[in-house]
Amino acid sequence: MIAARVEAGARRYEVTHRTEYRYEEEVTGSYGRAFLLPRDTDEQWCRSSRLAVSPEPSLIEESTDHFGNRSHYIEIQNRHQVLTVTSTSVLDIDRPVPDFAALNAWTVAGAAAALRADSDIDPVERASFLLPSPQVEEQTVLRHFAARAIDVDAHLGDALLGLVQTIYSEFAYASGVTTVTTTLGEVLRKRQGVCQDFAHLAVGVLRLVGLPARYVSGYLETQPPLGQPKLQGADASHAWASVMLPSGRWIDLDPTNNQPADSRYVVTAWGRDYTDVPPLKGVIFTEGRKSVLHVAVDVIRLDTDV
Amino acid sequence: MTAAIPEDGNPVLDRYRTRLRPRQGALDEILTSDGVRAGSQDLASSIDLLGVTGLLTRREQARRFVEDDGVTYGGSPVVTRNRRWTVDPLPLVLDAEEWARLEPALAQRARLLDAVLTDLYGSRRLLREGVIPAEVVLGHPGFVRQADHIRVPGAHQLFMAATDLARHEDGTWHVIGDRTQAPSGAGYAMETRRIIARVLPGLHRDTPLARLRAFFHTMRQALQEMAPETAEAPRVVLLTPGAGSETAFDQSFLATLLGFPVVEAEDLTVRDGRVWLRTTGRLEPVDVVVRRVDAWFSDPLELRPDSQLGVPGLLEASRNGAVTVVNTIGAGVLENPALLPFLPAAARVLLDEELTLPSVPTWWCGDAASRAYSLEHLDQLVIKPIARDVGLTSRFGWELTRDQLDELRRRIEAAPWSWCTQERLEMSTAPVVTSLGLEPRRLVLRTFAVAQGAGYHVMAGGLARVGSKSDTYLVSNLSGALTKDVWVLSAADAAGTAASGDDVPAPSRQPVGHSRGTPMTGLSPRVAEDLFWLGRYAERAEGTARLLRVADDLTQDYANRPGSRGAVAMYAVLDAVNAVTTVRHLGDRPGDPPSTALRRRLRSLVTDAMLPGTVAFAGYRTVRAAQAVRDQLSLDTWVVLSRLERRLTEIPADDAPLQPILAQVLESLLALAGLSAESLVRDPAWYFLDAGRRVERAQQVVSVLLHTVATDQPEGVDGMIVESALLACESVITFRRRDAAGLVTSPVRTALELLLLDRANPRALAFQLERLADDLRHLPERASVDAALGSLSALMRETDLDLLCRGDRARLATFLAELHASLLSFARLLERESFVHPAPQRALGVVGW
Repeated sequence: MIAARVEAGARRYEVTHRTEYRYEEEVTGSYGRAFLLPRDTDEQWCRSSRLAVSPEPSLIEESTDHFGNRSHYIEIQNRHQVLTVTSTSVLDIDRPVPDFAALNAWTVAGAAAALRADSDIDPVERASFLLPSPQVEEQTVLRHFAARAIDVDAHLGDALLGLVQTIYSEFAYASGVTTVTTTLGEVLRKRQGVCQDFAHLAVGVLRLVGLPARYVSGYLETQPPLGQPKLQGADASHAWASVMLPSGRWIDLDPTNNQPADSRYVVTAWGRDYTDVPPLKGVIFTEGRKSVLHVAVDVIRLDTDV
Repeated sequence: MTAAIPEDGNPVLDRYRTRLRPRQGALDEILTSDGVRAGSQDLASSIDLLGVTGLLTRREQARRFVEDDGVTYGGSPVVTRNRRWTVDPLPLVLDAEEWARLEPALAQRARLLDAVLTDLYGSRRLLREGVIPAEVVLGHPGFVRQADHIRVPGAHQLFMAATDLARHEDGTWHVIGDRTQAPSGAGYAMETRRIIARVLPGLHRDTPLARLRAFFHTMRQALQEMAPETAEAPRVVLLTPGAGSETAFDQSFLATLLGFPVVEAEDLTVRDGRVWLRTTGRLEPVDVVVRRVDAWFSDPLELRPDSQLGVPGLLEASRNGAVTVVNTIGAGVLENPALLPFLPAAARVLLDEELTLPSVPTWWCGDAASRAYSLEHLDQLVIKPIARDVGLTSRFGWELTRDQLDELRRRIEAAPWSWCTQERLEMSTAPVVTSLGLEPRRLVLRTFAVAQGAGYHVMAGGLARVGSKSDTYLVSNLSGALTKDVWVLSAADAAGTAASGDDVPAPSRQPVGHSRGTPMTGLSPRVAEDLFWLGRYAERAEGTARLLRVADDLTQDYANRPGSRGAVAMYAVLDAVNAVTTVRHLGDRPGDPPSTALRRRLRSLVTDAMLPGTVAFAGYRTVRAAQAVRDQLSLDTWVVLSRLERRLTEIPADDAPLQPILAQVLESLLALAGLSAESLVRDPAWYFLDAGRRVERAQQVVSVLLHTVATDQPEGVDGMIVESALLACESVITFRRRDAAGLVTSPVRTALELLLLDRANPRALAFQLERLADDLRHLPERASVDAALGSLSALMRETDLDLLCRGDRARLATFLAELHASLLSFARLLERESFVHPAPQRALGVVGW
């Protein structure tokens, strides 16, 4: 049951992500942290990237976080009522299609045991993504779902695709039903959510069966090929799950679209869950209580030979 | 080493010995099986000399000193009544030989914890090589990923460590816990020493005692060494969660000892990636932050977004080396009992040393064999979550029911990595003074180590805590533990120097030693505001007490003589009391004779702490404002304030006369005023305090005049009213002197002259305005405030008393009412301009996808 829609082959993208906040009252100070510029991976090379902020920030500093992501501190001392943060990146991506048939050499439990016993695997990375995290906590309700969604004795390749399929078919994509602080328990009760929730769900199930799993924040090219439906998550940032395989390799799975990640997926950052890598968060000083948020994302395929 | 029991015996200790008998195995800190523990002989003799009665007197003295020094532990529940620190008068004595073994072991442990901390936020070799299972660290909430790879300058990452120890049956000390998040208690230790030095002066003087002062010198030096390299004379602040923090006393006392200001989050701001102190005048750079706010609350940008106790950007400023935060954000990862079994191996790997100080045997349930052992012996073990989360505390397996044990077993099996178990330690006991004689209580010793050179300086002493009940294993401040001073005896060769040292630092705002650092000069708006209100509330309490004294006098004389002129005057003054205090409704009980109702009413105006406008309300607010700026005030202040609080707390009997209470309250308030006049350096802190006092007194005097002298009264009554006003404003003697000299033609006019315009009368409005002008000259300039004060002064100069006194009182009343309104708006302007608070801090709705 290997997904047919996967698109392989190298390609180049320009990603623009513009976030605008309009505040009810003047803001006297603004402190932001952004995970907006893509990291390099084995399958992705960032050719250029920049972060533009208005009004003029008094300080922008880039640092590398605990997980190796690019992270920016944005400090604004100018009084303002509108904040815009725009990231623009050009990337080359060549993500091979995972060979799920080959993964069937293991069972789920066998893979977990192999990972546990492998002394070549970095114990910090393994434990970081096996332990519960703020938004992916161990709960009874998650255990019940996991028992149904994945069979520890099944072949690994089939089980991974089956898990993605189960989430895709049992949960409805519905924006506005959940927020960035929604817990897995609520998602499991409501049977609705967005890409972030589905990524957390997949991560939670994988950790329960002993497979280290992480949350990936990024983008997906949504230009629909002719005659095919437009994919959900269009023109927005996207999120999916990544799982560690025996030997320590990672593959990415997108439960929102029921497919493994291919070269249309642009990785920005990864962490244990959303709280480690929100695209933009901040603290402001203002008398006002309200703000209006507007986000615009464009993932444009550039016409060039990579 | 055991000393023989004196021939004539020691009745108090003999009795204590019989109480020890049932505790097989456990050791005692003062008695051995057949004598007195080495080092404790002098203490034992003192106990003998004092007897139970003498010991109880000393306990009472200790309690009184705690009160006089304003030592609190815990928050402030209702009004200001903080939980008091409780000190047992008998110190724990550690002899030189024992300390010589313990001290290097504690220093080694601090070095090890420092090395572990450095590794965990650096290369994580300990985890990669399997010396410590990765889950033990990565599953602990104290591991702050946002602080990864942040390094502070100097030889150490760990500024300070506190270690909790208990004595094993074999006599050795075992570590039962490490405190590294934001260790508290060094200030309490010094304060406890100050108290015991006064409670047992002779014994304290004659004992060759290691002194505590050096520790604080080292602490100051360590802060200099850990400061950013760019800071030549580092400026240090202590970041507190607030005056309501449990250990607020410890924090401000420590800051006072070191000469650093205590600041709250809103006092600090990050600009251009570095930390600044917001003062009423300008921004002052901050180089080192001594953090007493828990890590997760210290930066709402990167950690808990809902925290109002932290400074957004603090982590970034640490990351780029612009500020040093100690203990480092993330140091709490060492407060993990599950680390204990792995420390000996870590010591071999990181230090190439054997760990000398044993920890209480501990099993981490994430390890299969340890889990099996733990689950099998659960009913004999102490069960601990690896992190002290809300609702999850240590449980004692032998105290639990089968159901409780099963429940714990389930929880451990569900997340074994987050649990550990520890062997039950028969902790040693120490005698506690009770009304029934000495009682044995289990003891925990907390020691402190601070970075020094390549190693650590261990405080020669510490804080011993004993359980609140005789059978409890739980020894924590939250469970009501008592504190003991810890006396470390000097080695014989060092005794001379140690005994000559000055143990207790001068109770003042003088920092320890000679600071090379630049002192922080500015005041934060928050501190300035609290000082201003300290001045206002103290003055308000005083003014109200004076007015009530006059009213009570009249009531005593005329309440039972209705229809008399005096009674008319009395009611007029009572109306004035209502108007000035703004307290109107004090439910009279129907059927009470008027005199009873009046007395009850006046009594409420003195003692009702919950009612704004009363003496008690203003008095408690005075204490609370003082607590919020503790590090700005001299230690003597607390003697005065504790007396005031005591007076206000004791509710008098219904028929008790009010005059003595008012006299005592006034006495305390005058002492406070005297301290502020004679003991405070004239710096911005003082000028804000004084400005508050002046603003309040100006309003009081005008308000009193408006509601007394400016009211129309029948012939013969107005003289009494004028006198009442003069009494309430402490100016009657001058008036009488002028009257006797034939200088008074119109009593009203003279009273107005004396209380409004006389620049030589410290109670007059003109005097307050002049003082205010002087205060403002010493404070950051605010043009609008100066202008407002200028027009008030001009109004005074142009006042035509003859015109105001002509005819009825309407013109005077209008004038005074307008003056009062002008004073109110001046006060508001001053507050708005001087105490600028930052706009509210809000988390920016995080952006999803």
